[in-house]
Amino acid sequence: MPKFVIDAHRLIGPVPFDDLPADPRAEMDRLGIDRACVTHALSLYSDPQAGNDALLRLDDPRLVPVPVVVPGVPGASAPAAPAEVLQWGVRLVRLCPERHRFDLTGPMALRWLAELGLPVAIDLDETSPAALRTLAARLPGLRVLVLNPGYRGLRALAELMAEAPDVWVEIGTVNTQRGVEWLAGRFGAGRLVFGTGAPVADDCGPRFLLDHLDLEPADVDLIAAGSLGRLL
Amino acid sequence: MTTGPTGHEAAGAAAAQAAPVLDAHGHIGTWPDFLIPDPTAEGLVATMDAIGVTAMGVSHLLAVGPDAETGNRLAMEAARRFPGRFGVWQVYNPHHRTPLTREGVWGVKLHPDVHRCPLDDPRYEPVWRLGLPVLAHGQTDSPWSDPARFAAVAARHPDVPLLMGHTGLWPYGFDRAARLTAGHPNLYLEVCGSRMTGRWIARLVATAGAERVVFGSDACFLDLRIGYGRVALAPLSAADRALVQGGNLARVLGDPVSRVRRDLP
Repeated sequence: MPKFVIDAHRLIGPVPFDDLPADPRAEMDRLGIDRACVTHALSLYSDPQAGNDALLRLDDPRLVPVPVVVPGVPGASAPAAPAEVLQWGVRLVRLCPERHRFDLTGPMALRWLAELGLPVAIDLDETSPAALRTLAARLPGLRVLVLNPGYRGLRALAELMAEAPDVWVEIGTVNTQRGVEWLAGRFGAGRLVFGTGAPVADDCGPRFLLDHLDLEPADVDLIAAGSLGRLL
Repeated sequence: MTTGPTGHEAAGAAAAQAAPVLDAHGHIGTWPDFLIPDPTAEGLVATMDAIGVTAMGVSHLLAVGPDAETGNRLAMEAARRFPGRFGVWQVYNPHHRTPLTREGVWGVKLHPDVHRCPLDDPRYEPVWRLGLPVLAHGQTDSPWSDPARFAAVAARHPDVPLLMGHTGLWPYGFDRAARLTAGHPNLYLEVCGSRMTGRWIARLVATAGAERVVFGSDACFLDLRIGYGRVALAPLSAADRALVQGGNLARVLGDPVSRVRRDLP
């Protein structure tokens, strides 16, 4: 059993397509999740800035804010400039290139990310391993947490991890038999991060998996919280 | 005022006492779409031992794919290697008219989407005539396996227990799938799939009744621990969880573990 568990990928707030818990804390308590990185649903399903404003008003050390950044030319970005992101004092930001229709490896995104110097979290459904390889090549040292990698793209995910040493992977959807152990054996548990995508995605199964990984306890502790600490 | 247990509570209490954990939906073997790091029967048994899964119904993925006869034989061999741990879902390919048996199996596995043959197609008649439980892939809005086809087949063959694999697979269809069980006591919701959640399992129980929801993992295609963990940690009462994680399937199959043993050569 891991000593301390951080869920690197949760939402707070309502979603438009289902009746899900808007506040993650009750489920975190029930499942033994000590802390969670949270993005506000408004940032994904409505206005990024409104979601970030709501997120940054949260005052609970259990909830680590991960606001959404939309790089762009003046007037098309959220927030207005990279300096504003730095004023938030956050340790991780989320990018949604598909949802917010910007080019992840275009000049504006590269300029913003270079100026921010912060780790970024990106859902693999919002990009591709090829785009992330390009991003890593263009911005060496940029730390990227790949959310929702799924299980069908294990070969491409492994290629990405092999080529981009500053890429970390969330394990909640690495859902094929012993897929997490396979990645840990090749890249080390220090590249793997516990996360769920709850409440849209499942948290029960990944939480159970974390308690039953066939890895050394020190490696499980890394996945449960330590790897994320290093990433941040 | 009645204070005794309801029929549902009594069934749950009985299931909790027996407490088998039976996985209705498992596989052995590789699949072309993606890498399965451990596709072996040995690996499944090791994980089953580690988390307390009593037995798993398996079909070989070769059988789901192009060669049902060979795949079925491989599944039977795995079941013999691990007595009491695997039940066999023999795959029926409607194009190849796969030979079926009543001996040493839990029932029949259908995959209307891979075989491109709708679940209510007459080419499946040998399966329904066999009368054994049937597990079929279910997928909302699929032309082959939409949950409405399960309701139609369940009405046509009320004596055949029919497990709707994945409860229709897509979350937007889960509630409809649960409602479609109404009036079809032989139709069950099997809950494996990458989009299923513990929250949804609790909702399915609330809508369809705990007696109609059956644990499945889709391992080795998916990770057994995630599949079972979803049921183990779902917000369910102990009685409901006991039914979902094995009580219902035990009722459908009879005593599956002893049945597997009895049918060994």
